[in-house]
Amino acid sequence: MPDFECKLKKYRQRKELTQEQLAVQVGVRRETIMRLEKAQYNPSLKLAIDISRVVEAPIEEIFIFK
Amino acid sequence: MKRTKIRFLMILGLICILIDIAASWYSAMYNEGRIVAPMDYSAYVFRIQDLPMIASVFLTWIYVLYLFILLVKAIIKNNRRDRRSSTSRKINPKLGFLGFLGFLGFLGFWNYGFNKNMSAFVFFAFFGFFGFFFEGKMSNTFRDERYKENKVKAQFASMEIVMSILFILTLLLGRGDLMGNPEYTLIAVRIILSLTIGLYLLLSEYLLYRYDHDDETAESED
Repeated sequence: MPDFECKLKKYRQRKELTQEQLAVQVGVRRETIMRLEKAQYNPSLKLAIDISRVVEAPIEEIFIFK
Repeated sequence: MKRTKIRFLMILGLICILIDIAASWYSAMYNEGRIVAPMDYSAYVFRIQDLPMIASVFLTWIYVLYLFILLVKAIIKNNRRDRRSSTSRKINPKLGFLGFLGFLGFLGFWNYGFNKNMSAFVFFAFFGFFGFFFEGKMSNTFRDERYKENKVKAQFASMEIVMSILFILTLLLGRGDLMGNPEYTLIAVRIILSLTIGLYLLLSEYLLYRYDHDDETAESED
């Protein structure tokens, strides 16, 4: 299990996006977004950057590694 | 494959069967059942009356070879298409029932007792077709990075298990005299190798499914 905290849900909701909409925009499945939000999946750098661009927040604020 | 081509192949198959039946009938009626009945081929001498039977066997082999080539071409074509596709291949989970063909492996014991032939043990590998149950459930899934990662993880875990089994097999059967008989060792090796291949096919699909669905009950939209 990756040792990090994920604030994606907060930033996603701030942009009024559903998991499905975000998933389509970053090219993954909804289940992947769901696992990211639960910090159960460690994303690739590309996916992290894509998410950060879509939710308009810095990567280090979305994914906080302890 | 087009319906006309399937019909063409079926007609060809029927023609082959009819030719085989006719040749067998001819051999039984006018050629003392040569080639049809079991015979000692080490002392075989060609007779012109053998020709229909030889021709029918030759035609059947050509037909089977043609089917085999078509099958290989179709597999290569499908693999290329799958690699280009962004989703996993479409498979009906019911194909998993083909896994029951694995029980044909038990015919090997009967066959070995009958004529010392061990080839039927290979059917144990068909237990791997049970993996289609899980592949079918993951059919047409979008292959994002998590899917690809899980697939590699599942294949690696399956490979580790299979390699461990093979390592133990090598240690235990390495001496080659199971119950004091090298033939029993060969049978055991054939069975375990076939089962291991089946296990790899089944496990890699099962683990991929598990990794992808491990806490599905907890899934929620928002």
